[in-house]
Amino acid sequence: MRGLAGRVVAGAALLATVAMLPWLSGTDPAQTVLRARSGDQDPTPEQLAAVRDELGLDNGPFTHLARWLSGDAGTSWVSGEPVLPAVSNAFAVSLTLMAGALVVTIAVAALLCARTTYLGSRQLLRDSRAGTGAAFLAALPKFLLASLLATVFAVWLGWFPSGGWQGPASMVLPAFALGVPSGAVIGALLEQSLPATFDEPWVRTWHACGFTSGRIAWHALRGALAGVLPQFLPSVVGLVGGAVAVEKIFNIPGLGRLALDAALAQDLPPLQTATLGLILLGFAAGLLVQLLRRALLGPALRDGGLMATRPPVLPPRRSARWVAAFCAVTLITLVVAGLLRDPLQVDTASRLLSPSLAHPLGTDALGRDVLARLGHGAVRTTGVAVAVTAVCVVLGLLLALTGKISSGLTEMMSTLPAVLAGLLTTAVTGPSVWGAAAAVCLVGWTPYAAQAAAQFEQERATDHITASVALGASPAHLLRHHLLPAVLPPLLRNALLRLPTTVLVLASLGFLGLGEQPPTPEWGRLLSENQQYLELAPWTTLGPACALVLLSVLAVTGTATRRPARRSAAASGLRSAT
Amino acid sequence: MRSPLHRLFAALALTPLLAGCFAAGGDANTATSGRLKVALAVPPVQALSPYSNDATVLGKLSVAEGLTALGKDGAAAPALAKSWTRKDDTTWVFELRQAKFQDGTEFTAESVVNALDHAGAAKSKPRVLSDVTLTVKADDADTVTITTKTADPVLPLRLASPALGILAAKAYAADGTVTPIGTGTGPFKITKLTGKTGATLDRFDDYWGGQAKAAGIDVSWIADGAARTNALRSGEVDIAEWIPTAQAKLLDVNTRHDVPSVRTDSLILNTAAGIFTDESLRASARAAVDGSALVNSVFGGYADAAQGLFGPAVGWASGQRVPVTGRATAATTDEIKAKTQGRTLRLAAYTNRAELPEAASVLQQQLEKAGFTVQQDVREYTQMEADLLAGKYDALLLSRVTLLDTGDAVAYLTSDFMSTGVYNIADLKDPTVDQAIAAAAAEAGTAERQQKIMRAEAEILRTGAVIPLVNEKVVQGVSTRVEGVLLDPRERSLITVDTRLK
Repeated sequence: MRGLAGRVVAGAALLATVAMLPWLSGTDPAQTVLRARSGDQDPTPEQLAAVRDELGLDNGPFTHLARWLSGDAGTSWVSGEPVLPAVSNAFAVSLTLMAGALVVTIAVAALLCARTTYLGSRQLLRDSRAGTGAAFLAALPKFLLASLLATVFAVWLGWFPSGGWQGPASMVLPAFALGVPSGAVIGALLEQSLPATFDEPWVRTWHACGFTSGRIAWHALRGALAGVLPQFLPSVVGLVGGAVAVEKIFNIPGLGRLALDAALAQDLPPLQTATLGLILLGFAAGLLVQLLRRALLGPALRDGGLMATRPPVLPPRRSARWVAAFCAVTLITLVVAGLLRDPLQVDTASRLLSPSLAHPLGTDALGRDVLARLGHGAVRTTGVAVAVTAVCVVLGLLLALTGKISSGLTEMMSTLPAVLAGLLTTAVTGPSVWGAAAAVCLVGWTPYAAQAAAQFEQERATDHITASVALGASPAHLLRHHLLPAVLPPLLRNALLRLPTTVLVLASLGFLGLGEQPPTPEWGRLLSENQQYLELAPWTTLGPACALVLLSVLAVTGTATRRPARRSAAASGLRSAT
Repeated sequence: MRSPLHRLFAALALTPLLAGCFAAGGDANTATSGRLKVALAVPPVQALSPYSNDATVLGKLSVAEGLTALGKDGAAAPALAKSWTRKDDTTWVFELRQAKFQDGTEFTAESVVNALDHAGAAKSKPRVLSDVTLTVKADDADTVTITTKTADPVLPLRLASPALGILAAKAYAADGTVTPIGTGTGPFKITKLTGKTGATLDRFDDYWGGQAKAAGIDVSWIADGAARTNALRSGEVDIAEWIPTAQAKLLDVNTRHDVPSVRTDSLILNTAAGIFTDESLRASARAAVDGSALVNSVFGGYADAAQGLFGPAVGWASGQRVPVTGRATAATTDEIKAKTQGRTLRLAAYTNRAELPEAASVLQQQLEKAGFTVQQDVREYTQMEADLLAGKYDALLLSRVTLLDTGDAVAYLTSDFMSTGVYNIADLKDPTVDQAIAAAAAEAGTAERQQKIMRAEAEILRTGAVIPLVNEKVVQGVSTRVEGVLLDPRERSLITVDTRLK
């Protein structure tokens, strides 16, 4: 019941905000609509008055909202065409694309966990993997992957269409571009929780009793999957509205582009209907995830019969340290070398030079040294991304603690594209340096809230919590000694895996005037401004992409190289007592 | 136990099949031989209504025609009107040709009256009619008389505007919408429009100018420039318009065709507020900024260093250019530092044209070398237009079409540089400039008008309110399989009756 109330309130609040957008933004909607209709049209007072009159803008937001709420999706302010067919077509396209991305996500995640599952189910697991491969894949920018796939598989090899939405073949490349990074995040999270599951006592018992390794693997996966399933919401379902860059590169008439165009033109009717669609999708997906988790965990979740989430028990692979050390040294070298150079020196004569002694990473389209730009952007980029991620993690944790009430909010915000949040932020703050960070914080907490909420729920259903409560533990004690220690390690890993995405999302809001203005070097911007030279001068994007990958691998393996921490004495004592 | 997951996987595998929501593509049944596949850049905003931006598509694909067309020399050429005469200052008589609409009805004087009356009464008037009021009368079946409220020397040019294309009666709905689908007079007839993704056009067999050589056109709209280039390179389309300069080098030399465009990129300085109210600082900015540095870098060679507001695409301009005199003397570096007193120069550019943000960084360095402190603000155009018109920036890097839909340069000068101009971002209020533009607007003779336009250009440049940087070129990608594509500097035409696959 509380969950339902939370959903209704959250949905209504978001829809109301969107309905007010043209009046909140401070930009005359008549002007943006006129501009969207005709690029050459001069914004004369008469023209603006004509548009205002035609759309009934002077009546204020409430007449529009009332009409919309009465079930009339209306016609687009820009095109005058009915909204419903356009939005539902785009929605169907995006949903299909998401299904494709989901398949790829699952496949990538499965590949990443294959080794751990195979060895674990045979009781052969001796060390835990550091997740280097997953961190590498998770750091690949989707738009870069999309450009690369389009160039190689559509233009060079001609295996797939380069764009459009003409049939299942059109789906392959975009599904890969979207699914690979998502699958890497989900696979890495799954892989992290598996070794602990395989260490649970029942596995040994089953193994001794001669259960097949397949059955053991399946049962172990069920437990681990239940904790990771909520991640599909922000990572995969969120792609329905949040795949704008990939939709552009492959010319897919999806919902992301529709919503973005509508938002920029302040074309309210399609924007409202698209938002409603995304909200409902979020709720439906949330419900599905909930049902699947119930099915996977069975009655144990309800009856408090789950095993405690255990801390990592296996020593990390030795190679992990080497990988981390290598990444750290390379990054530091890059940054120091870059800091000694001038990142702003434009030299149009030496444009797009390939790497040489004078320019170790080559030059960009304006002849600026890529290494210098990397080095000077490093601190700013990582600093902002880490700060934003930290805020998101804390927000997510706090919301997860409120339980069912916030689950609706989490589901809803998971599907909300960051660009919409960016527009709402610009409406309030105007273009500003902090705007991008604020906008990303507004939507970026959802993966952590979803993850923490699921972990909390599973943790609360364990027998040792029941025992602690029976022994008189206060809620604060439970949180401090049982819940947080169980939830934080996977949360941290998730946050680190998503660090590169945060960098890119922050940069993607630049066109709204949010964030640092050019020519300030910043990794996300380096990637997006050089994207168009991917084929002509690959080094312009290779440098920043490698830096992002190094950062991601360093963050993930660096934290994984710690020796397994011992749980607090109370917790282990309790566990052995039960 | 296993069933939920199994069901999930089954559902996932089926989803692409069940959803069945791929856009309807090229019909497999229609013979594709002889059909042109074209990738256009700007998706339709108002279902191809001629009163919106979409009008240009109707010209590019030879769907609709006006009474006149723009000739190569920039003068009006016959189209649906065979000839015309100017009876007096405000009265023109047009002789119409025999033609048929694509819906089978006859093109008559009544159709002209109907079409132009609808354009004049449209809720948001087409731009080309913003400063003129037409009264159209049918004299007989193939003669119309058009009277203007005030003298309008460029009326024949105006009528060439794609917004004033003549469509069949059934195109004009009671609710004010206009559809060109199956209602034009051109050699190609739109048979189907699929949202913002594509359109199908067939040859119109009864075209007055003879049958088109191509059997039809399959249009797809691809907004992303790299994606258009990819579509051309992978052979999915035969023609791709507007190849981004960054991508042009990826195309084979024989497939990329550049043509001077009427677009000029310039730096507009705010004369009403901020540091550039000082004329000597404007002059130093002009001295500091070098547009030719952009040509081979940012534009990859696809531009010409600007000599004035009008570039090589406006053929008559360079021959009649008037030297600029009476400019203010530029402030020296020290004077700049003293006069700006640490105030930063707010330099605006927009992301909609990929070259502008790059150019802004080059200009920033040039201006900083001269002693200015520069702060960039780069955003999407719609996000900053209100601020631009409110004069919140010191300088704007603007890419502007200098021949608007009238095909006449005066319209651009009036809106951008007259003190009453609606797009006067420089906020220029200079009586001499106003007089010069007004003189050009009143001139009827083609040669005299051109002279006066160039005189106005010199007056505008004298104020230092605008610093022309480059005249852009447009790169059109045309496969070697295709011949007869019309490369038009004004971007009004592309595919004509003669375009065909080899």
